Amino acid sequence: MKLCITSTGKKIEANIDTTFGRSPYFLIVDTESNATEAIENTAATQGHGAGIAAAQFLVDKGVDGVLTGYVGPNAFKAFQASGIKLFVGASSRDTVKEALAKFKKGDYNEAPVPPEVPPCGPGRGRGLGRGPGWGRGRCGRD
Amino acid sequence: MRAGLTEKLRPEVIAYYHEKFFPTPVIGVTGGKGGVGKTTVAVNIACALAEMGHKVALVDADVDAPDAGILLGMALENAVDVFITMPLIDESKCNSCGACVKVCRLNALFLLKDKAPLLLGTCNGCEACLLVCETNAIDRGQKAVGTTYKKTRGNLTLYTGELIPSLEESANVVEKLKGRVFQDAADFDIILVDTSPGAHCNVIKALQGSDSVITVTEPTPLGAHDFALILKLLDIFELKGAAFLNRADLPSPRSEIERIAREHNISFAAKVDRDDLLIKSYVSGNPIVTMFPEAASAITFVRLAHEIAREHLT
Repeated sequence: MKLCITSTGKKIEANIDTTFGRSPYFLIVDTESNATEAIENTAATQGHGAGIAAAQFLVDKGVDGVLTGYVGPNAFKAFQASGIKLFVGASSRDTVKEALAKFKKGDYNEAPVPPEVPPCGPGRGRGLGRGPGWGRGRCGRD
Repeated sequence: MRAGLTEKLRPEVIAYYHEKFFPTPVIGVTGGKGGVGKTTVAVNIACALAEMGHKVALVDADVDAPDAGILLGMALENAVDVFITMPLIDESKCNSCGACVKVCRLNALFLLKDKAPLLLGTCNGCEACLLVCETNAIDRGQKAVGTTYKKTRGNLTLYTGELIPSLEESANVVEKLKGRVFQDAADFDIILVDTSPGAHCNVIKALQGSDSVITVTEPTPLGAHDFALILKLLDIFELKGAAFLNRADLPSPRSEIERIAREHNISFAAKVDRDDLLIKSYVSGNPIVTMFPEAASAITFVRLAHEIAREHLT
């Protein structure tokens, strides 16, 4: 898989940049061979639409997935349309190398794709709550 | 060095900015700071000129908060909606060349291989995508951004622009408003344009084509700060004119305002002190030149109107 990781620097020892469109560098890693290419993100300095421009760049580059902290709504729509897999939640405390290791372990889930219903349509949610209650009993003290 | 205000504009841009296709003089009224008295000055000079028998167009180009109509007690009529272009892409004509995506300065378009581009981001209607599309696959869709109004009372015609709240296309509304007035230019002896506060696109568009600009300010640190900004803008666009010192009797030193005026080579055409009658006229929605013509400020407005008529209306 050709994975783009958003980075503060050109080396895999650099820390993650958690913003997608305005991250200064993209490290494009072949997750099988670990071959890495560092590319300056020219969209980062755009006045408007950095997220869309960055997504366009990655589509043209032919990447299969993106690992970053978070993406804005426009870039999210671009990824949805393109089929590029999106993994969010990477931490700025991690280096690219560490984040890649976590990625390979399966620590990051693919960002949820909103259901294909209009935003105002009927809801289809089902609660997943399975947690224990918070009550602590009164120990017969009343 | 920072770009922006320090950049020098090319001569052809300046020439285009000053271009006018009619002889009717255009006077801008601006000031940088909000609440400094721009609309009061514009409304009173417009009324004084109208009373002198001139046909006057007063343009309220503060489209984010248009209120000259309130100061004049004139209702807004003859609404015309303002639209901007939104690209409508015909998938059957699109060859997926990507030229529109590259030209879009707002990066609003997104293109997947062998597909038609998607409009994902914010479009400001600049139409660059239409210009570069070789297969003419992009049509003009429309998005309403505001309204312009026109209302005549005697010699005075008020043009007002209004932006739909929450939208950012105020400069587009100003541009369409100016277009509407300039189209009617032959009906008037003079056109007065009251701008919004600030020194950005709205104000630049509002002052486009002005023969002269009145810059209203007040002797306060806020007034001085914004006075310097707006004079810088006038210098960049090579707009000439005079300053108007409102609330001149405020107990604060005038040295800073005067220094800024000297630095930009602009003189004060008038100074008006605080005036209870001016406030009375303001809250009652009647211009002071008609409500209290004997008031000191009214006399100053009438004098200015005469000076403007002498210089521009012969």
